[in-house]
Amino acid sequence: MRLKHMAAIIGVSYGTLAILPVFVGDVRFIMNILIMCVIWAVVASCWDVMMGFAGIFSFGQVAFFVIGAYCSGILASSHHITPVVSILIAGLFTAGMGVLVGLPCLKLAGPYVALVTFGVHMALKPTLRGEIGIALGSGGSLGLLTIPPINIFGYQFSSTNIVPTFYLALLLSLACVLVIMFVIKSYWGIAFLALKDSQDFSMSLGVSAFKYKLMVFALTSFLTGIIGAFYGHFYGVLSPRMLDLDLFSTLMVMMLIGGLGLFPGSILGAFIVMAGSELMAPLGAYRAVTMGALVVILVLALPNGVMGLFLKRSASRVPTG
Amino acid sequence: MNLTEDNILFLYEMADVIIAGLTTGSVYALMAVGMTLVYGVTKAFNFAYGDFFNMGGYFAWILIVGLGVQFGGYLTILAIVMPIMFVVGYGLEKLMVAPLRKRADWENKVMMLTLGLALFLTSLYSVVFGVRLKSLPPIVDGMVEVGQLAFTYQDIMIFVMSLGGILLFGWLLNNTRIGMAVQAVAQNPEGAKIVGIPQARIFAATFAISTVMVGFGGILLSQKWFINPMSGSTIMIKAWVVTAFGGMGSIRGGLYAAFIIGMLEAFVGWMFGMSYSIIALFILLLATLALRPQGLMGKGK
Repeated sequence: MRLKHMAAIIGVSYGTLAILPVFVGDVRFIMNILIMCVIWAVVASCWDVMMGFAGIFSFGQVAFFVIGAYCSGILASSHHITPVVSILIAGLFTAGMGVLVGLPCLKLAGPYVALVTFGVHMALKPTLRGEIGIALGSGGSLGLLTIPPINIFGYQFSSTNIVPTFYLALLLSLACVLVIMFVIKSYWGIAFLALKDSQDFSMSLGVSAFKYKLMVFALTSFLTGIIGAFYGHFYGVLSPRMLDLDLFSTLMVMMLIGGLGLFPGSILGAFIVMAGSELMAPLGAYRAVTMGALVVILVLALPNGVMGLFLKRSASRVPTG
Repeated sequence: MNLTEDNILFLYEMADVIIAGLTTGSVYALMAVGMTLVYGVTKAFNFAYGDFFNMGGYFAWILIVGLGVQFGGYLTILAIVMPIMFVVGYGLEKLMVAPLRKRADWENKVMMLTLGLALFLTSLYSVVFGVRLKSLPPIVDGMVEVGQLAFTYQDIMIFVMSLGGILLFGWLLNNTRIGMAVQAVAQNPEGAKIVGIPQARIFAATFAISTVMVGFGGILLSQKWFINPMSGSTIMIKAWVVTAFGGMGSIRGGLYAAFIIGMLEAFVGWMFGMSYSIIALFILLLATLALRPQGLMGKGK
């Protein structure tokens, strides 16, 4: 997909969201959902860059999100660092963790990468709940309960003034998404694709698999960490239960609905799934059942997601396109 | 020998830990063999593996507690549940995995699909059976005492039955037509096709056999521990670590790895507490993969 089209899709979807508070700005519940939309859009896009573009089958994205959120939360609540700084530190810390996780993955292939990254995900929960986590200040199985909201020059972005908070989230999310877009369209992105399509061949042409794969880990975990830290400060509460399979598969549904490896797709996917999941709220306990069934059906029936449908239409209209 | 009382107690404690390690190790071996078989033959990775473990447990629970089946004890249960597990596995492969095989990146798609299936089954169990733990009666009650050591018949039965399961499986693989066909497909899919082995059916059968094995493991362990609807992912990750540690696709590697990991878990649990066992597993796995990316006994590229 061309840069022009990507930018157009991102512009239209974020523009629509930016207008919405004019109509629903005083409904706290809807504003909360909108903020979640822009947050998940970034996480799903990062995951998509990892899986769809770089072809690294990583299952660690939720873990990085939680690491970022906890890092910033602990820094702000136990060490009294102002949230904007702590968010940056959390991003860098998560990027470091990403590189650490990425290092063993470089030598491995397919299911092994998935295992190592999912192992990080699985080991994170007992770590946060156990003595190590409590010593670091994670609050054990209760989680962090009092994370201070973001405060810029004395102005508090909390859920009491939710419209400005929403615009802050929107800007942050847009910035992350634009970074992803330019990276994909730059030399880096082409290197990612080349490595995914044929690692041996692209290495013989001088593309360093080592360098670019680590870069993918660093970049995606940095962005995920930052947005995770923002989530923590916005929500005010973090618990190790975020690592349950629930959020994990919701994000995966977002990616699948959007279309794997079709970049702005996962943003659309995030918006669609957030809206759909609110519509499914009356299902109660059956929501997770439906979500699971949805993953199965989507993989079978809609291989390229919404973007796939979109591309098919535009391809049939302009055959040379 | 002049052993002090403390030393003797310590030895007994060690013996207990080793027994625990052997028991869980034997069930892990059962599960790892099933998983490594599917991966070795069909190259499909099944994320819902742990939920089939629970499925076995729940079927047994329905029969014993729900329907009150008394006749023949666990033999009847196995005779009923194992065919059901086979049918479930066969049907799932035909319905869900086989259609994906034609696609270019089907291995990743299968992982995603089975992950969705895992979420579906986990949440279905907690909706249908509730989140409370279910327990099964022990296969055989009572214990045998050797000196001051006490072995429960339950542990012995688990050990014997899972080893029996593995041996039976090994015999089937080497001595029956379908077993040999499975091996042929694993060694050379194209060659197997040329000599007329129905590949699609072998894939489905392999998937089904692994479902049966993990379901068997589920019945065996559920009557020692409990059936927990949420435990699927933990079980899956353990079977996966065992498989990767032993080398994916290598049955013998899986067997060794299962006992090593069962022992490791028992010792770490005894020394530091159970919650550290998964962290220890993970560190062991990372160290192994850093030195031998293909696992203990896996074939290199």
